[in-house]
Amino acid sequence: MIELTNIVKRYQQHEVLRGVSLTVADGEVCVLLGPSGGGKSTLLRTINGLESFESGSIRVSDIVLNATSGPERDEALLQIRKRVGMVFQQFNLFPHRSVLENVTEAPIHVLKKSREAAVQNARRILARVGMADKENARPGSLSGGQQQRVAIARTLAMNPEAILFDEPTSALDPRTTAEIISVMTDLASSGQRMIVVTHAMSFARNVAHQVHILHAGRIAESGPPEQIFEHSKEAITREFLSEAGGRRA
Amino acid sequence: MNREPMIKQPIPQDFVRRRFCHGDLRLMLLCILSAWLPQPLITVADDGLDRIRQRGTLVWGADQEGGGPFVYPDPDDPSQLTGFEVELAELIAEHLGVKAEFSQGQWDKLPDLLDRGDIDLVLNGYEWTADRAKRYGVSVPYYIYELQLLGRTADNSLTSWDDLLKPIDGRKRKVSVLGGSAAQDYVEQFGGDNIDVALFEGATDAMEATELRLSGIDANVQDLPIWLFYAKGFPQLRPIGAPVGRGYYVAMTRKTDQDLLRVVNEILLKALQDGRLHRIFAKYGIWNETQMMRGLETDESGGFIGSSSPSADGSDADASTASYQPSGGWTVIRQRGGLLVKSAGMTVLLSITAMPVAVFIGLLIALARLYGPWYLGKPAAVYVEIVRGTPLVLQLYLIYFLVPKLLDIIFPGMELTINAFAAAVMGLAINYSAYEAEIYRGGIQSIPRGQMEAAISLGMSRSLALRRIIIPQATRLVLPPMTNDFIALFKDTAVCSVITVVELSKQYYIQARSAGAIVELGLLTALLYLAMSYPLSVVSNRLEKNLNQDRRG
Repeated sequence: MIELTNIVKRYQQHEVLRGVSLTVADGEVCVLLGPSGGGKSTLLRTINGLESFESGSIRVSDIVLNATSGPERDEALLQIRKRVGMVFQQFNLFPHRSVLENVTEAPIHVLKKSREAAVQNARRILARVGMADKENARPGSLSGGQQQRVAIARTLAMNPEAILFDEPTSALDPRTTAEIISVMTDLASSGQRMIVVTHAMSFARNVAHQVHILHAGRIAESGPPEQIFEHSKEAITREFLSEAGGRRA
Repeated sequence: MNREPMIKQPIPQDFVRRRFCHGDLRLMLLCILSAWLPQPLITVADDGLDRIRQRGTLVWGADQEGGGPFVYPDPDDPSQLTGFEVELAELIAEHLGVKAEFSQGQWDKLPDLLDRGDIDLVLNGYEWTADRAKRYGVSVPYYIYELQLLGRTADNSLTSWDDLLKPIDGRKRKVSVLGGSAAQDYVEQFGGDNIDVALFEGATDAMEATELRLSGIDANVQDLPIWLFYAKGFPQLRPIGAPVGRGYYVAMTRKTDQDLLRVVNEILLKALQDGRLHRIFAKYGIWNETQMMRGLETDESGGFIGSSSPSADGSDADASTASYQPSGGWTVIRQRGGLLVKSAGMTVLLSITAMPVAVFIGLLIALARLYGPWYLGKPAAVYVEIVRGTPLVLQLYLIYFLVPKLLDIIFPGMELTINAFAAAVMGLAINYSAYEAEIYRGGIQSIPRGQMEAAISLGMSRSLALRRIIIPQATRLVLPPMTNDFIALFKDTAVCSVITVVELSKQYYIQARSAGAIVELGLLTALLYLAMSYPLSVVSNRLEKNLNQDRRG
């Protein structure tokens, strides 16, 4: 279970998150929607500590992350990061390592797995995301879609309790976007818990268990996709959806 | 590089007084010397003399660069030293019952080496001055030097000192001298605004420029012993008028080593009396009437050896057996090339020892500035600014002379010191670490932020992420500039000669000035540097090419 309680985040005077609370149950797919600048990515990045926050708390299973800094927070962060993976918009693969090495890096050096076990596991995961034949390639020689699949594999190799997706398809063209969405859908159907910031409405509509609309640093509306997409009670949600729908056919 | 004059007599106290004394010189000297003569033999030895005897060596300091006839590489075997001061040192050491050990030092830094305790005795044409007598133990003079005006044989318009004051072809006369020397002061006092002075870093360079009439130089003023020694090498120069500006060459000890000073005086006076000094100076062609005027030389029966014609030509240069032997062409390269190659080894050793240390310190500084808390980051930034903002020469000098003093304050009585090689490596490493730090900082900063985010999102600690992800990528970026820095450091090792390390450049100056083969040995030295740095350039270019290919993917 991941639980965010009353998260407040400021950049100088500007309040980016104004008390956000949400819960993601085991095996649940949670999608954050909302207009740009609404705080979606920032909220996602607070969960694994890439962004700090001024007040509130985050709980991942039995680990609690508070706003106060210090060695305790550092230790909690390290534990959360081992359990919660992240997939970035810009992939952020390690360009000096091969595809296989990108995937085995953390299992070997963070989880202290044996090289053999890590390689074996990595090959299985690369096959699952359709990248088995590229294990010796350098990231620089791959297309964007291929890179993102390797990035997902790299995260999966840590056997995470949850994966945070930060606009995973925004840097991709529509065809490769579809490829990545299908990989994510496949993951979701195998019970992988994930929190996804995306503009891919089809994924939210078809795969998500919970959808949250983030607007101006607050959750405007939460609910299962049918409720959000078909029976929204909030004007903000309807406005956002009609604009997004208009923009993205 | 900031090379210092090689033969040198700075700060004559003032010439008015010196000239005033001129007539009374003999009387005065006799007074001084007779005051010494009745001194008893050393009875109680203090630390200095004890130390020398225990060690079995008398360590004496001098600069062999351009050192003829004082101290210079033996033309027959350039790896050995010769010169009248070498023989003097042996004379003194023999008297002490120990061996003489030469220690190379830049001329103007020799007193510092004395202070530092590296040497026991300075014996290198140091003139008596009131300041020196105050700070150091100064011996009785072993030689009385004078200054000689030199003109071109072909130039009939210059026949006296007074001619110097007369303009020629509507311009002032131009006189070459060694910068910072007694000759410079003398000429400036003598000529005032009526003479142009051209300063040179080497005595032989100044003579050569005069002979070749470079930049309109008409004359040269030179220490008489240097002229007497090198005269054969400059057939187009001739002495004009009588020598002037008399002064004393003295040996110097630490002020506290009074017993050593007494022994030095004892043997100098004895050698003066029994003719050994005469023989040594005659061998180098620099014995003259002025030396004889001290009037102490006696024969075997104890009878005074005078001179029937004290005003005759002052020197008996013809009797000399050791003199300047210019050499050139392949001969000089065969004779002295080996020494240059050997010194190139020191250059390589300095570079390959200093660079890894610089890289290590530089990396720590860069990481402290980028990721450290403020109490590490701020000092690291200050370190970079201080080191980059001060000259390497000064840093080397401070390390060499200051660190032992600091060690002495921190650990009194332990006599900890730092040898010249270690100081040179430290200086180079510290100097270059600042530049390396900035290169690494730039390299690390140019790695996209997403790399660190991806790494820590995988549960890596910051230091693991740096080690496995950031630094390996940054290394590829910084390798080309690092290689360039290595080439620069390699050449900067030349500066280490200020703290007595003899590497390729210093050896070149020593050998070229001694053999008069500036061109041949210069080309060889350049070739050696090139042969060592070119492979590095090739490596650098290749790294850069690889990097560009990587970037293109």
